[in-house]
Amino acid sequence: MIEPTDGRGAWLQFLCRACGLIYDEALGDEDSGLPPGTRFADISDDWVCPLCGVTKADFEPYTPQQRAPAASGTIPAQRGAGIVIVGAGLAGWSTAAAIRALDGSVPITMVTACAGDVYNKPELSVALARGVSPEAMRRETGAAAAERLGIRLRSETVAVSLQPTRHVLRTSRGPLPYTNLVLAQGSRPAVLPGLPADLCWRINNLGAWTGLHRALSSGPRSVAIVGAGMVGCELAEDLARAGHRVTLLSATARPLQPLLPTPAAQRLAGNLATLGIEFRANTVVTDVVRIAPDALELRTADGATLAVGVVVSAVGLVTEDRMVRSAGLDFRHGIVVDPTTLRTSAADVYALGDCASIGGVACRFIEPIARQAEAIAHDLLGRTHAGYVHAAPVIRLKTKSTPLVIHGIPTPNGDWRTLEDTAERLRMEQWDGNVLQARLAA
Amino acid sequence: MPNPSMTGQWTDQAVLADTASIAAGELQRAATATDGGRYPLDILGALGRAGAMGVHLDRHGTRFGLAIAAMEASSRACGATGFLMWCQDVCGLYMEQSGNPALIGAALDRHAAGQSFGGTAMSNPMKTFAGIEKMLLRARRVPGGYSVSGALPWVSHIAPGQYCGAVATVLDGNGDRSHDVMFLLRFDGRATLRQCPHFSGMEGTSTWGVQLDEFFVGADDMIADPVQPFVKRIRAAFILLQTGMGLGVAGGSIDAMAGIEDQLGHVNQFLCDRPDELDGEFAELRARVMRLAGSPYDGSTDYLIEVLDARAEVAEFSLRAAQSSLLHHGARGYLTAAAPQRRMREAQFVAIVTPAIKHLRWEIARLSREILPQMDAAA
Repeated sequence: MIEPTDGRGAWLQFLCRACGLIYDEALGDEDSGLPPGTRFADISDDWVCPLCGVTKADFEPYTPQQRAPAASGTIPAQRGAGIVIVGAGLAGWSTAAAIRALDGSVPITMVTACAGDVYNKPELSVALARGVSPEAMRRETGAAAAERLGIRLRSETVAVSLQPTRHVLRTSRGPLPYTNLVLAQGSRPAVLPGLPADLCWRINNLGAWTGLHRALSSGPRSVAIVGAGMVGCELAEDLARAGHRVTLLSATARPLQPLLPTPAAQRLAGNLATLGIEFRANTVVTDVVRIAPDALELRTADGATLAVGVVVSAVGLVTEDRMVRSAGLDFRHGIVVDPTTLRTSAADVYALGDCASIGGVACRFIEPIARQAEAIAHDLLGRTHAGYVHAAPVIRLKTKSTPLVIHGIPTPNGDWRTLEDTAERLRMEQWDGNVLQARLAA
Repeated sequence: MPNPSMTGQWTDQAVLADTASIAAGELQRAATATDGGRYPLDILGALGRAGAMGVHLDRHGTRFGLAIAAMEASSRACGATGFLMWCQDVCGLYMEQSGNPALIGAALDRHAAGQSFGGTAMSNPMKTFAGIEKMLLRARRVPGGYSVSGALPWVSHIAPGQYCGAVATVLDGNGDRSHDVMFLLRFDGRATLRQCPHFSGMEGTSTWGVQLDEFFVGADDMIADPVQPFVKRIRAAFILLQTGMGLGVAGGSIDAMAGIEDQLGHVNQFLCDRPDELDGEFAELRARVMRLAGSPYDGSTDYLIEVLDARAEVAEFSLRAAQSSLLHHGARGYLTAAAPQRRMREAQFVAIVTPAIKHLRWEIARLSREILPQMDAAA
């Protein structure tokens, strides 16, 4: 290749916007009678693309694009269809580890729309006050975890559709056959029409938390948190402790209702107020609009407005249902599973964690996941196992001001009885007739 | 001219029967010539009379399943003709959905009945909307409309006297992008048609490079201004209709495999993707497409993802079926003029025509991504 000697810098390349042909000044274009070293600027304006015939004006300077990041760090050679796991949260990784503990060689492929990095999700609602960085939150990269467990990780890959009769999972990087499929795709935060997705943060994974962390990194900010459920209350306290001015907007009169009885909710509300959190009760946000580059305005059903820097929506979780419904799997607030085997209604397909539903109820707690993964690993490998035993998980609210534990599941019509209510301690029990439903300690 | 709107005669049964008869006769006979370069306007006229390119329109009952089935029946005989039917179908869709009185009257009746012809120059705009390319046509406002300039590399089913749907980016006085507009581009002598390079197959699709130089577009030819809400409305229907091509190429491939079983079954039994296996998969896939065809204007993201995935599956399946059909036929299928050889090129076309398999997956990934606040705006 000849070197430029005309003093006009390095050879440049130009891309035909129509057909993608690249004119390289170093090479010229013999077919058009342009010898090597012909500068694009020196080509006559009536020259046309030698491939598709569009004019010189349809060319633009070309710099090669950066290559897309590799879909996976680790791709062991495919060894048959094997087990496919959808989702790389705690449920997905727990299942991979449980299967590997029993069988070191069965092929496992994990499909995840994110990078698959391993982190502890409950920490997301308490990490800002502790000053934890996104890097420190990540315990292990997805690629490293995949290598450690000897599985194939298909990261940044969307599970698109499922064909249970053919045992094929279709993904955004091509179809994947499976012998067994484990759905561990979790749940996602609900997006309400009045809380636009592009203006309101929803914290349910490390990627979103990293974004919020960055948005709050420049110093104290005013933050509105919409929704006073567990996530909303925990985040409110975490952000307040991290030095931000927090307003917690709740559609109910007190936080965490109807889960908490009034004395407990009042105690929590009082402690949040002590931290400087403004609690707006009975407030329904109808719209959020940007009013300045760094300011948003919330509008509420009662006509009030609130200007803040950052909005976090914490209005509940939903289970993605498009794929499983169109595949014909039974779905009731989650993917219906057998309470012992965690098999879904489709042959050789299991589900666990947030996406599964038992008795028509989704179970969105951490504690059962390891036991569910154990049960699935044994069942799909044909190993003897007593099966999963579903029990009401212990609910722990991670608000340091009001550490709150509930054993059992409170019912809407139960009768709460106060056993102890002092400045230091609140103990209550809920009875439904003669049955003890739940115990609460705060 | 009598109104050729013939919903009464275009019953589901009649459209399918007439299309099947054309496919088995003149279409089948012309397939090799069409692949080689003969533009089958006469056959398209017959298909138009049969209703095969009009029944998806609202005025004829929004029968997308039937339109796909007709395209499939034709594509079993000739994929290139199936593609031309899709071009005609979506051009009719643009005209009707435009609501422009100048486009939805007698002009659309003629178009729907195959008495006039038009295609679609939407490859570049569709890729632009998906963030894959940049818009090639540029427009500026002039009294009474827009003046459009630029070039498109390959546009099919166009010729002098015909037309196609096209999109241009409107630039304001400073040369900045204002918005996009869609219009019916008429080949009335003002646009330059350039010969395209030779393609490996499907040469009879009358595909040209188009050059526009200060091309005036008036109100009578406007399809959508701005274009985004319009494209959002028709996008799934546009993509879904393409499945008719792929289903036909796959179905024709499976038929051809089954047809040679008596002669070569004793050795073909050792091949993968045997006709009976593929047949079951085909039925499942076709049923999936037909389910989706029941609600082409369901505007939800979930529906669009299903359509994109079904379209991708059709493309992947037709590649497999065409490949297997060639292997089943052996040397005789490898002859230049052999149908299995032609269907390989047709299946490859289904896989690469916009939206290609890779574009479909790109779009599925894009639509599946969680939307979060922009970091720079929030910080």
